[in-house]
Amino acid sequence: MIHIKPFSYKPGEHEAEAASNSYLMSVIAIVVGLPLPIINLIATLIFYFGNRKSTYFVRWHCSQALVSQISMLFINSFGFWWTISIIFTDATISNRYIAYMITAIVFNLTEFIATIYTAIQTRKGIHVEWWFYGALTDIICKS
Amino acid sequence: MKKTFVQGIITILLFFGTWFTLSQINWVKTLNIRQVTNKTEQKLGDLYWSVFKNTEKDNNNPYVVLSIDSIVTHLCKANQIDRNYIQVHVFNNDEINAFALPNGHLIIYKGLILDSDNQEELTGVISHEIAHIELNHVMKKLITEVGLSVLVSITTGSGGSEIIKETAKVLSSTAFDRKLEKEADIKAVDYMLNAQVNPKPFADFLYKLSDSNSEHPDYLQWIRSHPESKERAEYILEYSNSKETEYKHILSDDTWSKLKEKLTE
Repeated sequence: MIHIKPFSYKPGEHEAEAASNSYLMSVIAIVVGLPLPIINLIATLIFYFGNRKSTYFVRWHCSQALVSQISMLFINSFGFWWTISIIFTDATISNRYIAYMITAIVFNLTEFIATIYTAIQTRKGIHVEWWFYGALTDIICKS
Repeated sequence: MKKTFVQGIITILLFFGTWFTLSQINWVKTLNIRQVTNKTEQKLGDLYWSVFKNTEKDNNNPYVVLSIDSIVTHLCKANQIDRNYIQVHVFNNDEINAFALPNGHLIIYKGLILDSDNQEELTGVISHEIAHIELNHVMKKLITEVGLSVLVSITTGSGGSEIIKETAKVLSSTAFDRKLEKEADIKAVDYMLNAQVNPKPFADFLYKLSDSNSEHPDYLQWIRSHPESKERAEYILEYSNSKETEYKHILSDDTWSKLKEKLTE
């Protein structure tokens, strides 16, 4: 799921720190805005725009953090509004709802662990590519 | 590009696959979710029942009890409804009313039985109330009208008897929302058709009560709490016309007339 790959050049100390921070942004935002799925996306988005003109290594990792957050936004928003509908409308807790929440938690947890791991590795200047998101970032982010 | 696309599809499939697989487990039962709500409903049912039991006079005439019981049992059997869950009570009240309480209590007023021209009319109203019970409308109504926090405070004993009495009125004299009423009407027609009872008299009953509403408005509690009777009668007729079947009586004509006699004694 997570691959350590050689990058086109060796990133400097400052680049490694900025790239690592892009992942930390989403982790911190998760802690702050846990019930609202949009918060961590906004945080990552702000960081992404702030580093748009940065070096390739930083831009690449900001993009990977961002695309992963976008997909989590869909999963979490659906779960969030489903929960709201159960609390405020006639909808009831069903097996499908509980199964969805467990699936969402598993995916969020996987993403959370991967984010922390990647934040640590990129801080050391190691290039980490995620399954699917890495390849997607390669398409979006050009050197 | 192709590799990214395939990986994307696999990720999406992995998500939906996990969701689908996990959905196969009966979480609601495993985690006892419904049991908790059932306990609240049970307590509320007992509390509200005690309110009505203390203020109304129960009719214990075995002929009346058994006749109404036959109708309810027949409906339940034909529709795979747990008969033991439905607890029927006939009250000696002249109002034309019937309503459901939490935990399967079904209250029928004497006035309703006496005002029914035939047993199908009464069966229609009973089916409608059973539908409210089976579709969990009673708890939904209570939560909307009274609020979950008040209901929980009632069950934990901190609500006070005045609140219980006030909220009991919500159950006996106010309407469900229109969507729930229609749902219960359609379900009632299904129940009647499955039990081979003609649903048309149920529609006639609504017509009749809406017409006579102005004549003796004080007694028409059921109609007041069930507005738009003409419109309801129309869609009941329309729905039942599409499902023609052979009909029979649940009670014999003799039993039906004797039941009315016993109630007027």
